[in-house]
Amino acid sequence: MTVPIEIEVKDLNFYYNGVVHALNGISLPIQKNKVTALIGPSGCGKTTLLRCFNRMHDLYPKHRYEGEIIFQERNILGNDIDLINLRSRIGMVFQKPTPFPMTIAENIAYGLRLKGVKKKNELVERIERALRHAALWEEVRDKLNSSAYDLSGGQQQRLVIARALAVEPEVLLFDEPTSALDPISTAKIEELVATLKRNITIIIVTHNMQQAARVSDMTGFLYLGELIEFGATEKIFTNPDKKQTDDYITGRFG
Amino acid sequence: MTIEQKRKIEGVIALSLSGLAAAIGLFWLVYILTDVITHGIGALTIGLFFNDPAPAGVEGGGLRNAFVGQLMITAFSILIGVPVGVLGGTFLAEYARGRKIARIISILSDIMVSVPSIVVGAFVYAILVRPLHHFSGWAGAFALSIIMIPVVLRTTEDMLSLVPWTIREAAFALGAPYYKVIIQVVYRAAATGIFTGILLSIARIAGETAPLLFTSFNNNFHSTNMNGPMASLTVTIFQYAMGPYKSWHSQAWGAALMITLFILALTITGRLIIRWRYKR
Repeated sequence: MTVPIEIEVKDLNFYYNGVVHALNGISLPIQKNKVTALIGPSGCGKTTLLRCFNRMHDLYPKHRYEGEIIFQERNILGNDIDLINLRSRIGMVFQKPTPFPMTIAENIAYGLRLKGVKKKNELVERIERALRHAALWEEVRDKLNSSAYDLSGGQQQRLVIARALAVEPEVLLFDEPTSALDPISTAKIEELVATLKRNITIIIVTHNMQQAARVSDMTGFLYLGELIEFGATEKIFTNPDKKQTDDYITGRFG
Repeated sequence: MTIEQKRKIEGVIALSLSGLAAAIGLFWLVYILTDVITHGIGALTIGLFFNDPAPAGVEGGGLRNAFVGQLMITAFSILIGVPVGVLGGTFLAEYARGRKIARIISILSDIMVSVPSIVVGAFVYAILVRPLHHFSGWAGAFALSIIMIPVVLRTTEDMLSLVPWTIREAAFALGAPYYKVIIQVVYRAAATGIFTGILLSIARIAGETAPLLFTSFNNNFHSTNMNGPMASLTVTIFQYAMGPYKSWHSQAWGAALMITLFILALTITGRLIIRWRYKR
């Protein structure tokens, strides 16, 4: 059985400041409607890799990509790519919750308005749908017009996920989404990730190996900017091919 | 003497010294305020606000011309100073962030903040008054806006820099262009800080006399013509306080009281906004 590929990374190199070689010849397929986890010790390049998928590096000067990332038959590292369009199709959730300084409803409406949704009733409907999708609706339905800052950290993170979902992306990038959260909030986000993959392709960077094992279908292990091993999560965690992977997973380094 | 006793004595000395310093500072503030209030309160009649000055030496009359002139000059300097300051601060904190030019402009503005205001007055005299051969309200407003711009610019820059980067990245990640990120997300996050900075900068210019002496000068008659010399409370206070007539002195006290109350109100509003913001 072959699984459709959503994104294909081909021999990707990435340089910070034009000289710091942060990613070295990375190639991997991201399967459609699956969760792909990127693991590895701090500084290994996993977040750098994640931020290539929505070209977040373009916000900072002197970055350089080499190689290709093919998403729907186009190289998204090309100069002809409209970043605004790309980022509305490949969403991102950050390590710390990033609610905007507005009400809960406006937070969700922000992305929708960027996409050109203007009608009041459509906005209301899509805000509710996004919040339900992110399993937050029941908790906030009565306070949609209060500040997003009044929510707890875990709720804020789900609000941010709802905001990302509202624009209906095809891919969602998670950058250590639970590292600032308590265990109960973490469990809720993990459940959410499991349900989201029905419609969305997910790439998640995590420091927490149990989390990678719990939520992902595929796992890539990065070390010093190189992809050491990539394969089915079960295999990576029980019977990895490379010794380095085994050492990291069993906690011998990192 | 044990080391604990020694420390206690040192603590008492330090506390008394700093308490004394605070008391000296406060004493003059309270003294000035009570002095202005006791002298000025008697001059606050309806006529002070609605009558124009009587001829020199004649009793009665008011300072309508100065109140109107002050309001117009201040309003126009705000209209010039706030947009330039806010947009300049935005440029430094957002578009030129981390670049050398931003550092240089920042440092220059810090220097500008402490330039004596009479220098600004003389400068505007040289570029706007002398070449045109007449004093004008515009020149006054321009001089005040020059004093205002670096204050607003630096506060805006600082407040924008305090907004965490992750919030901007989150907005970018939703596909927002930079100008929308700034206007809709970053400005909102920094709004109270920027607004407070604007209020405080208005308080700063409202009490300036020196820059107006050489620019809008003064006018004994009611005028709303920004192209001609214009009265202002501060210059009027200066002129009346130096003058020989008792009624002038009394009206100068009244004007001083009004300007003090105005600045006090602005400053207190600014502080309240800060407190209200950070309480939450």
